[in-house]
Amino acid sequence: MSQWVIKGIGTGIKTTAYPRGAERAAGVTPGLPRGGDVGAAAPALVERCLTHALEHTNGVISVDSRRCVHCYRCVRGVGQPLNWEATYEWGSTIATPGLKNELGQPFRRSIHVLVVDAGDCGACLNEVKQLNNPYYNMHRLGFFITPTPRHADVLLVVGPVTDQMRFALRKVHEAMSTPKRVVAVGACALSGGVFAKSFVCSNGVADVLPVDVEVPGHPPPPLAILHGLLVAVGRKQPLPLAAAGYEPT
Amino acid sequence: MSTPTLLLVFFAACGAGILLSLVVRPARQGFVLAGLGCLAAVAAVAVGIEGLLTGAVFTQPLWSLPGLTTLMLRLDPLSSAFVVVTGLVLFPASIYAAGELSRDSAPRHKRAFTVMLLALYASIVLILIAGDALLFLLAWEVMSILCYLLVVSAPGGENGQVGSAYLLLAMGEAGTLAAAVGFLLLALGASSLQFDALKSGASALGASVRGAVFLLTFFGFGVKAGLVPVNSWLPRAYAAAPRAFAPVLAGATLNLGLYGILRVNADLLPVAQAGLGQVALIIGTVSALLGILYATTDNDLKTMLAHSSIENVGIVVAGYGAGMVFVATNHPALAAMAFLAALYHLINHSLFKTLLFFGVGAVETQTGTRDMDRLGGLIKWMPLTALGFLAGSLSIAALPPFNGFVSEWLTLQVMLRSAELSSAGAKIVFASCGAVLALTAALAVTCFVKVFAMSFLGMRRLDVERRVNETEPSALASMAILAVLCLAFGVLPTYVIPMLDPASRQLAGASASDGLVPPFFASAPAHDALPVAFAAEFHDLGAQVGQHIVGGRGLVVLHRGGVDNPVIFAMSTSYMLLTLIGLLLLTYIVIRLWLTRTRRLARRERWDGGVRRLLPEMTYTATGFSNPVRVIFDAIFRPTTVEDTSETVAEHFRMAIRREKERVHLVDRLVLQPVSFAMLWFAHSLAAMHRGRINTYVTYAFLALLIALAVLPAY
Amino acid sequence: MNPADLKEQIEGRWPGKTQVGRDVSSSTTEVTCTRAVLADLCRCIFQHWGFGFAGLIVEEDSNAWQLRYVFYGERDAGWVHIVVSAPVADNVFPSVVEWIHAADWHEREAEDLFGVRFDGHPHLGDFVLHNDAWQEDVQPMRHGFDAQAALRHRLPDADWRPRRIVQEPGAFVMPVGPKFSGVTESVHFLLETVGEDVIRSSTRLFYKWRAIEKLAEGKTVDEVLLLAERFAATTAFAHGLAFCQAVERVSGAELPARARALRVFLAEIERLRQHAGAIQGICESTALVVANSQAGLLEEELLRVSGELSGHRYLFGLLTPGGLLCDLPTNACRIALTQSQDILKRLNELERRLSISSSFLDRIEDVGVVRLSAATDYSLVGPVARASGLVRDLRRAQPYSGYETFDYHVPSEQEGDGYARLRVLFAEARQSVRIIEQATAVLKEGDVCKTVEFRPGAALGWVEAPRGGTFHWVRLDEGGRVARYRVVTPSFINWHSFHLAAEKFAFQDFPIILSTFDLSVAENDR
Repeated sequence: MSQWVIKGIGTGIKTTAYPRGAERAAGVTPGLPRGGDVGAAAPALVERCLTHALEHTNGVISVDSRRCVHCYRCVRGVGQPLNWEATYEWGSTIATPGLKNELGQPFRRSIHVLVVDAGDCGACLNEVKQLNNPYYNMHRLGFFITPTPRHADVLLVVGPVTDQMRFALRKVHEAMSTPKRVVAVGACALSGGVFAKSFVCSNGVADVLPVDVEVPGHPPPPLAILHGLLVAVGRKQPLPLAAAGYEPT
Repeated sequence: MSTPTLLLVFFAACGAGILLSLVVRPARQGFVLAGLGCLAAVAAVAVGIEGLLTGAVFTQPLWSLPGLTTLMLRLDPLSSAFVVVTGLVLFPASIYAAGELSRDSAPRHKRAFTVMLLALYASIVLILIAGDALLFLLAWEVMSILCYLLVVSAPGGENGQVGSAYLLLAMGEAGTLAAAVGFLLLALGASSLQFDALKSGASALGASVRGAVFLLTFFGFGVKAGLVPVNSWLPRAYAAAPRAFAPVLAGATLNLGLYGILRVNADLLPVAQAGLGQVALIIGTVSALLGILYATTDNDLKTMLAHSSIENVGIVVAGYGAGMVFVATNHPALAAMAFLAALYHLINHSLFKTLLFFGVGAVETQTGTRDMDRLGGLIKWMPLTALGFLAGSLSIAALPPFNGFVSEWLTLQVMLRSAELSSAGAKIVFASCGAVLALTAALAVTCFVKVFAMSFLGMRRLDVERRVNETEPSALASMAILAVLCLAFGVLPTYVIPMLDPASRQLAGASASDGLVPPFFASAPAHDALPVAFAAEFHDLGAQVGQHIVGGRGLVVLHRGGVDNPVIFAMSTSYMLLTLIGLLLLTYIVIRLWLTRTRRLARRERWDGGVRRLLPEMTYTATGFSNPVRVIFDAIFRPTTVEDTSETVAEHFRMAIRREKERVHLVDRLVLQPVSFAMLWFAHSLAAMHRGRINTYVTYAFLALLIALAVLPAY
Repeated sequence: MNPADLKEQIEGRWPGKTQVGRDVSSSTTEVTCTRAVLADLCRCIFQHWGFGFAGLIVEEDSNAWQLRYVFYGERDAGWVHIVVSAPVADNVFPSVVEWIHAADWHEREAEDLFGVRFDGHPHLGDFVLHNDAWQEDVQPMRHGFDAQAALRHRLPDADWRPRRIVQEPGAFVMPVGPKFSGVTESVHFLLETVGEDVIRSSTRLFYKWRAIEKLAEGKTVDEVLLLAERFAATTAFAHGLAFCQAVERVSGAELPARARALRVFLAEIERLRQHAGAIQGICESTALVVANSQAGLLEEELLRVSGELSGHRYLFGLLTPGGLLCDLPTNACRIALTQSQDILKRLNELERRLSISSSFLDRIEDVGVVRLSAATDYSLVGPVARASGLVRDLRRAQPYSGYETFDYHVPSEQEGDGYARLRVLFAEARQSVRIIEQATAVLKEGDVCKTVEFRPGAALGWVEAPRGGTFHWVRLDEGGRVARYRVVTPSFINWHSFHLAAEKFAFQDFPIILSTFDLSVAENDR
């Protein structure tokens, strides 16, 4: 058994500098379209977006990142690609004041997160799972995964909420004690993604539960989910709405 | 009232009850039974307490049989202790039986039942106060036959009722025979069959006779007590016994076996060899372990209680064994403690076992089943029964502040005192038995967590059609009485111990009260018996707290060792109860006044993983709960596979997996079955003589004639 | 058995009742037969001639049912499609499960979603549509059913009870899920037990059913490609590739060499990453903390390799019918190769350490055994099948994208236990890096995409995905839109056999058995 101990120590520290500093390694994020002025190419770009995440007014494209499913059709195979930003601090709140006080000070550094898969494709869930690996190690920030809603402070939902999971999801939320927050992770959980809206899928979690924090991306990388969780407990500022690309300014 | 008067009241009440029940209408039998049964029970308790308080020996010659003996009554502290328990059990049992009778449909059986039960009461007390071997054995016979009749006569008997009753009778008679031979051996050196004479003549007996007497009486009486390996009848008879009678069987007649063992082997002929004491200790321990193992894995409420009786009897007998060893090795104070612990546990067992039988009876009448796999969630429909049953379960699982804790704790402490023995072998035996008894105590908790949880908690598994109501007031009242007694015996050991002291002093020749110090905090003079420094030390610990609030004896049980190390152990269930109440109150106050002032309390459904509907078949069954025990102790249970098949369609579609295992009790497997095989074989060989042909019989007659002719002239 | 023999045998045995056609370009033998000989024919193909069962494809025309049973053999045998048709009103077909147990779940699914009855199937119903949530007679895959409108009126079965087969005094069902454990997909297990040991387990799937086959109907190819990539994103590239290949086969498109090589390159990068993830899952289930962390590091590094190479950590947005949506610089591929080689070294080291950790081996050896005979009868695929000695690999058996030009080896084991599956994962990871090396070497500058003219028709696309063979059936209509999309995934195939491995085991072994199967619920539920 000692071989494992030695190996473990010998590996050294791999953990990201985030949230103290920025993570600059390549490949940690797929990025999000940024929008902007593309002039005459705008209508063609908007046309190419199959999930209607893009809109344009006078050549200026605005992005609804909740609908973006990372198909890259607005940057690949087109003459004039859209701006694309390799950021990862994507967690944003759906407004409502009083959010700061809801979980309260005692919860800031010890949060039990319950993850519910409500029809996820496996990618978001895999990215949530990565938060436990040494690169991200969410424990150091006081986040713990719990299997039971009784211990949970934050409900993290991935997936568009399928018909047969809707009941279970409501039951989970119901079983959690207050104060509780709901974090919806991934484009599917925010808008239903490519599956919405059908006879078996909702238009995302908000159709079923009140959502407090949204993390766009398809899937959002681990750092974005981490940011979402930090936003949920008030330890990070949410992404300004404009930067998230919801509304053109 | 004086002892004779009280005894007269007792027997008069029983007699009057029998006569009355012969004349009144069947519908009124319940009143006769309850009224006169209770009166008799009160008289018994009174006479017993008086005997214990005075510590005097009361004797009353009855009838002189020339050349044989004088039948006489004799009430000494030991008898008194047993009479008190009997009275305590018979009081609620009479009320309960009356309630059960009212539900009984057969009018003839009602009358017969009342007569037999009251006669049984009389015979039980007569056994306990018999002053000579003949009266003792006569009463014993009457008691045995009444037990048999009561079991066999119940209407609507289940499968195997007659067989169980017959086994009860047969094994009981075999035991009686062995005990009778034991008495005869004892009488070899005595002038008469009176106990006093037997006792004084006992010293003349040789070691081998002493050993024989011990073995004969120990196992002979052990049958009634349900000791391994002569316990086979017990679970069967308990299961077959009518609901009204089972509590008496468990609470009163069981004690008679324990009384017999104690009377002969600790009083009339105290065991002089430590080895025999160790035999008792080991047999007791094995009984305890096997009893609780089978109890834990049994799903029938009644047989489960029967196996648990075997366990508790085992604990009592282990205490006896320890006492005998201490007597033989000349540690009278320790012996007194051991006997006291055993007697205490015996009393406790009678109380909580009777209580549990009431609960089981109530469950069975309301649900129609005793199978724990089919019960569940009854607390919603039978909350008071559940409360009573919970009190009984806590007691039997030896959890403070109930009574089981005190006596089991004392027993285990006594085991630890084996350090004072000089023999290494004995120390090893004590240590191993102590460890096994501790395991037994732990398993008892498992067992009764299972029983209570599977029957009363969780989801209802019964068919929805079946209506379940709270049981009738008479049963609730009798459960309440016993539950209160269980609690009282649990929190006031400092009052019980001095009470039992005369009985154990009679056996050990020393007082346990000197070692166990209940009066410590009663008043200043009590300090005299203790070193000043020791008293001060305890004073500093705050053990005197409450002496002004609760007057009387101190509420701490402590055992005093030598001067260097005065305290060996100290414990107080009284303070435990107070602390418990205090903590619960504090929790309540904190939640009510502090937490819920700012927060809202919300009730939520249980978390079930998000299934659409949690169904009863998705929750643990009693079998499932106790399966780990079954797996761990597989070597003891040795189940045989009756069926292990799977049904498959089209090679791969599993349609059914059928599995069934059967197990035979270890004792049945190793003792009962071989014995009955041998008996049958013997009977068959005898039967071979009966060929049924006339020539054979003529030959027999001819041969007999020849032998007669050959032998007769010799005289 | 080669196609000519096949044709001769079939026509000889069932003259007049079968029609055998041959499509050389896709090496497919299509047998049209009547319902009367269906079971017999299937039995011959599956049991006697040793074909694997790929799946059942149900199609509803305007006036007829068409059921297509797809089989695949070794390289020269190619594909066999058995097609049986019936008028729409007449929806009863003979069940073939008695001979092809692998068709069990396919028939149940078809019964649930189309309302097609299979005569002789021992238990139908309560499969995709849970009876405690949906009423029985809803048939969402039928033409008239509106996929966009929410289902309003429901009459779920209030008396639903789990199907229990263990008959033992005191037996009960331990429900696990759909929400259980930490970060797990939603699935429900019913473990039948009498305490301690689990006697039998059954899985209740489709909590995550998103009905992508229904959603695809009437959509454009590009829209359906999004669905194909995103219904099971841990193996997104493989499924996207299978869909693209089906579309390309319908339309008869030829791909540029660079696109083919890059597809192989990316498919193997994905396999390497997914296998590292599966290995991490196994380490996690055995609670071996350091190994779990080490495997976790490797998985994350491989995700970063994908991200750095393609922009997306799960290789989204690369595929398009006709090639790739964008070119990947050869240099970036070389970097990815070097990184993969480095990661492989550490993966090998991890395997070496695991193979000498007795506490780990104790938990994983002889656990969750699937025998070869069962693997054949269930027609298993992927590492699960290969660990049981069933050496089936579509890259070898029915090569695509130029796999026939690569030099690699298909690892297999005989034991069929958890450890065998783990060893297969490690060995396949090594082979993947070998293929990546060769694919990088053959990369030549050139186009990566050709425009595809969509033509009406139907074809099968198949890919050896990381979890095993996946089969995508695509039918395009005149407008170039998708008329029918049928996806058979490796998880769907292998879940079917999971109960074999999860039978008579100690409860604490359950997560280990589950993790060694590396099953994806999303891939199964579609």
